Amino acid sequence: METVIQAENLRKSYGTRKVLENFSLTLGRGEVLGLIGANGAGKSTAIECMLGTKTMDSGEVRILGFDPKKDRKKLFEKVGVQFQEANYPDKIKTRELCEATSSLYREPSDYRMLLQQFGLEDKQSALISTLSGGEKQRLFIVLSLIPNPDVVFLDELTTGLDPRARKNVWSFLTDLKAKGLTIVLTSHFMDEVENLCDRIIILKDGQCVFEGTVPNAVAVSPFDKFEDAYLWYTEEEVKQ
Amino acid sequence: MKAFRTLLFTEMKLSLRGMDMLIFAIFMPIITMVILGILYGSKPAFEGADYTFVAQSFGAVSAIAICAGGVMGLPLVISDYREKKILKRYKVTPSSPVLLLIVQVAVYAIYAIVSMLLVWAVSAVFFDFRIAGKLPQYLGAFFLVMLSMFSIGMLVGGVSKDSKMAGILASVLYFPMLLLSGTTIPYEIMPAPLRAAADIMPLTQGIKLLKASSLGLPMENVWLSVIVMVVLAVLCIALSVRFFKWE
Repeated sequence: METVIQAENLRKSYGTRKVLENFSLTLGRGEVLGLIGANGAGKSTAIECMLGTKTMDSGEVRILGFDPKKDRKKLFEKVGVQFQEANYPDKIKTRELCEATSSLYREPSDYRMLLQQFGLEDKQSALISTLSGGEKQRLFIVLSLIPNPDVVFLDELTTGLDPRARKNVWSFLTDLKAKGLTIVLTSHFMDEVENLCDRIIILKDGQCVFEGTVPNAVAVSPFDKFEDAYLWYTEEEVKQ
Repeated sequence: MKAFRTLLFTEMKLSLRGMDMLIFAIFMPIITMVILGILYGSKPAFEGADYTFVAQSFGAVSAIAICAGGVMGLPLVISDYREKKILKRYKVTPSSPVLLLIVQVAVYAIYAIVSMLLVWAVSAVFFDFRIAGKLPQYLGAFFLVMLSMFSIGMLVGGVSKDSKMAGILASVLYFPMLLLSGTTIPYEIMPAPLRAAADIMPLTQGIKLLKASSLGLPMENVWLSVIVMVVLAVLCIALSVRFFKWE
């Protein structure tokens, strides 16, 4: 299988506090990786080190064969990113933000189609500040898909969505995955991770405490349910 | 180029929706000019002057929008966009946050130019004003003052730790310059001690330049102002490039 993301031994610390240690990852085309762990476990740091928006202390990253720092302009034609925090100006409308975002790419997808797929077609002239939490979240996913990407990074993808909207997002991402989209996502919802992710990495205090598939994670733990297994991985102080 | 055009159009719309630049950079200079015109009519600037009070004020009033955009508009929008992580977002696109900064400079340059043209039109139509100096010289001075003021704004917006800090610094720079550098209250009617204080402000020097070039006065008298503008621009641009905080 074609390797899309290759990360080796990423490390990042602030002063003496180690926020990410020996993070490694190999992800193939069409694979979905879930990064999970408590708040502050290093999920966003791992994503930002891979994307090059944070400078890591050591390690090496290749996405689609590109170095995210050196080949930034080429790489980000084909990578979509949804950061955890909202990033849009006050008083901007949905259509305006979509148009501005599209203008940054050489071959963007048609944002109107994406808005329609995510049920936002009637919100085009609405100020983004007036959208509900779920609508905003769906819009941010739309924005990350505008580049017509080969890889997307979705940080806390469905936070703030109602159950139906979450299911819609899942099915849409499953379709994209079938078409070869590689996805890295972080989430606090274990049902979502079970449903979407081919592989997971569980982070705890910057350390990778599990890497593998969901059934694997359950099998290694003393529990039957993934949610319990996850809690066991992240709470257990000393593990053999 | 497509990105620049789209972003400029979008950011211009957002700025107009905000109204404040429309008020402070477009309406206020026009109103100031009209009031000065009504108060002083076409009286000579002083006894024996061969130019009118209105003509003397044109250079100063044409700088109001430069001041509003440069030291208020720019620092606020830059610090706001940093705080909202919009600049950071541009780092994960094929474009760059630098493009967004260039777009902002263009937005405020448009305000400054439009404002200057409107003030010129009002002065010419109602108060018989003509630029007595060489036009290229006035325009050169106008863009030099703009460069200098905008670089101050870029520095303030680029290095303030948050948008609150940028707001405070912008106010500290903006209001004294607006009131004392001669943009609104004519420098010529100020008592000597106030003039001395005003002379410290960069915009006062810029306005001396604009006045000399629009009135056709000898430029030899304002070399100091030219030097102040150039040094300030070089310094602020260098410091911004070195210390700009992207997040």
